[in-house]
Amino acid sequence: MMIKGLLCFFSMLLSISILSGCWSNQELPDLALVSAIGIDLSEDGEFVNTIQVINPGNVAGEGIQNTGGSESPPVSTYTEHGYNMTEAQRRISKKVSRELYYAHTNLLVIGEKLAEERGIQEIFDALERDNEFRTTTKVVVAQDAKAEEIIKTLTSIDKIPANKVIKTLRSTERIWGENINLETRGLLQKLISPGTSPVISCFRAPGDEEKGEAIEGIQETQPPFRLQASGLALFKDGKLIHTVNGDTSKGILWVLDKIKETGVSLDWKQNKEAIVYEVIRQKTSVSAQVKNNQPKISVEVSAEGDIGETAVPIDLRKPHVLKDLEGLVEKEIKENLLSSIKKTQELQTDVLGFGEAVHRADSEAWKEMKENWNDEYFPEVEVDVKVHAFIRRTGLRNKPFLMDF
Amino acid sequence: MSYRFRKFLKSKRKYTNAVQNAGPAEELYTSLDSNLSKIKQRTGNSSDIVIREMTTAQENKQIGVIFVEGIVDNRTIHDFLLESLMDDPAIETEGTERDVLETIAEKIVPLGEVTRVNNWKELYESLMSGLTIILVDGVMQGLSASTKGGERRSIQEPPTEISIRGPREGFTESLRTNTSLVRRRIKNPNLWVESLQLGEKTKTDVEIMYIEGIASEKNLNELRERLENINMDGILETGYIEELIEDQPSSPFPTIHFTERPDAVAGNLLEGRIAIFVDGTPFVLHVPSIFIQFFQSVDDYYSRAYIASSLRFMRIMVFLISLYAPATYVAATTFHQEMIPTQLLVVLSAQREAVPFPAVIEAFLMEITFEILREAGIRMPQAVGQTVSIVGALVIGQAAVQAGIVSPAMVIIVAITAIASFTTPSYSMAIAARLIRFGLMIVAASFGFYGLILSFIVIIAHLCSLRSFGIPYMAPLAPFIPADFGDSVIRLPRWGDKERPRLFTTKNEREGSGQKPTPPETRNIKKQQMKKGDLNDD
Repeated sequence: MMIKGLLCFFSMLLSISILSGCWSNQELPDLALVSAIGIDLSEDGEFVNTIQVINPGNVAGEGIQNTGGSESPPVSTYTEHGYNMTEAQRRISKKVSRELYYAHTNLLVIGEKLAEERGIQEIFDALERDNEFRTTTKVVVAQDAKAEEIIKTLTSIDKIPANKVIKTLRSTERIWGENINLETRGLLQKLISPGTSPVISCFRAPGDEEKGEAIEGIQETQPPFRLQASGLALFKDGKLIHTVNGDTSKGILWVLDKIKETGVSLDWKQNKEAIVYEVIRQKTSVSAQVKNNQPKISVEVSAEGDIGETAVPIDLRKPHVLKDLEGLVEKEIKENLLSSIKKTQELQTDVLGFGEAVHRADSEAWKEMKENWNDEYFPEVEVDVKVHAFIRRTGLRNKPFLMDF
Repeated sequence: MSYRFRKFLKSKRKYTNAVQNAGPAEELYTSLDSNLSKIKQRTGNSSDIVIREMTTAQENKQIGVIFVEGIVDNRTIHDFLLESLMDDPAIETEGTERDVLETIAEKIVPLGEVTRVNNWKELYESLMSGLTIILVDGVMQGLSASTKGGERRSIQEPPTEISIRGPREGFTESLRTNTSLVRRRIKNPNLWVESLQLGEKTKTDVEIMYIEGIASEKNLNELRERLENINMDGILETGYIEELIEDQPSSPFPTIHFTERPDAVAGNLLEGRIAIFVDGTPFVLHVPSIFIQFFQSVDDYYSRAYIASSLRFMRIMVFLISLYAPATYVAATTFHQEMIPTQLLVVLSAQREAVPFPAVIEAFLMEITFEILREAGIRMPQAVGQTVSIVGALVIGQAAVQAGIVSPAMVIIVAITAIASFTTPSYSMAIAARLIRFGLMIVAASFGFYGLILSFIVIIAHLCSLRSFGIPYMAPLAPFIPADFGDSVIRLPRWGDKERPRLFTTKNEREGSGQKPTPPETRNIKKQQMKKGDLNDD
């Protein structure tokens, strides 16, 4: 009895270890960790995929023997082309000794040409379907460049270029508010929604492209090239139609309620942009009303912030001065928003999500408007912007020392 | 059933018969000389058996005194036995046989325990357990006088169970000392001790101790029955008994807890458990035991409840680490790279770059090396223990990494596992984790987290199926007994934990109500009528 049981147990043990298991087993040194993917369009209409593969020994290799020093670059890039994404990606395996592993791909760069000419819808199916690729991957558009160039550029502080891009986006979105830190899943939602269109941050690599790929470049304090966030790419029907910069992009993000902190410069008397209001938190809500089949949008902003800088001698202890300043802030923000909204209306693309607001407000009316929203209704829609600004503090001092001069 | 097994059973039966036939109650001889020569022959003229013959002054009665040197107290024998027997003139009696012994027992030998020996079996048992035998010529019976003694280890701090706060006493190898240590803590006539002898050859004294009225009768009967069933030639340590009376011998988990601290035994007795003392070992078993008990250290009961609870919780978490840390590492790095944060993965990957083995081989290599070191550390004479630790630290910590055989991350994992396994207060539980860990590593290497989750379920199911003297091992978690939670993963303050664990006892109340201390009413500070401006005079 007992021997039978033991036999049974051991045969079970033997069969589980031989028959199954281990098939998805991958050792770390057999994996090529892909940190970023760049997608371009070639002259003959093929996709060109560029992948950035981390060279772990050169990123974290210091202090570990036999892994090479920092002589060689922290990443290697591989480029291949194909008529569809899978073909292009699988073909790369001819050049890489290890299995490509996409679970840690945190950045997707879309080439400008691809975005403008072919649109971005086609590339996402392959990525979303793949079980390794994450939908939290950040997306940027290469401005005035091919995606390949962004992928190939080395960066100095963050050794992995993909990380540099992601971290830059994250911090600038929070602190300055001209760029959006967009994930693939958010982008997909906006792509399929008729009531809104996506905006994607742009990245540029100004400078000599050839030098960007060499390790010598990052050995200077000011490299001859530097990856930097630039404007916002506005999309319509999946195609890039325009790129906006500066206050316009900030205004767009403000309507999208993506602003966390930023600075608002105010004119005071004759002094241009003499006082800075630092927004520390804000809330923007977009609502719609449909009357007589005419939609009306109202945007309400309530901002809270500090005085960050005064270049003019004003006495901030006086409540009426603060009151005046709050009025100026409200005016400034309102103008910013209105001009941004106007710009998008001119471009006839609803990146602001007004269509969704209308949908929420009156779904019956929306059904009729849906088809021609971007071209017909959106450019004409009446927008009412209300801003409420509040000065919470004036920094560490009330009276500027300039008053004592 | 195979032939071999049947043969084994047969031989066992034969053995049993032999043991039972060994000691028929043969009577002593009348003549002292023949008695003594029989003893000499039976003990093979062993040099530690002392036979002292003497003649009383008055009646010329021949008296033989027999004892085993070393396990008797020489002083007692000399002062109270030999001296009294030789000097005393009062042996002269009317001449009936019984009266001689009676006189000796009642009037001459001033010792606590003097009993009559009727046959050879009794004689040898008494003699070998340290009693002194007195034989008188012409009498077919003898006397045994309690003269147990001899060199024993003194009471020391228990080396395997150190506490920060609490008594420093530990049990010794002497059964009587051990029971006395407990009786000093529970001064109550309800503290009952039952004794029996186990081991056909060793005749080891075994005693069970419990508090009458608290310990449940069912458990007691069960224990008595299991102890009586023991039929072995020798019992040398509690481990022998543990293996013979546990509920589930094939489980790696211990179902009987042991301790060498008298305060721990006292605490367990108060909770309704039964302690088993074995002569010759400082360890005491107590039954029934539950899983959570193996994570309770005596310090928990002496430190404040919040601290005790958090430490106990930590110990259980750390136990899981000691079980699962290498397995999780292997599973994550070979199957689930997506679960590791990118930066960490890059670091791990860089470390693994130069390592020639798969992660699981690497883990096995390191774990086995560590087990070797640990075993060597225990078996080594203390004088060379230092060498082992230095060599071990160099081999594991430095050289293996520098040689590129293992990655630094693996060293960290093994080190954490090793340290974690030392936090479990019970050695027998920690050693079970050591064993299971290797199995889990194999599972992790073949099935990844899927296998680990399955193994976790299997372990939990196994634990829930265990019983200790019929008591569910995972109580009070499974079966779920909220009333017993006061002293489980957490320990409630004394005033909040009013009941004994329900499973062990018949009586649950253990303290009066309203034990929670409160600060006294404000004294000496009169409530003043505050006027405006009293506090802010400026």
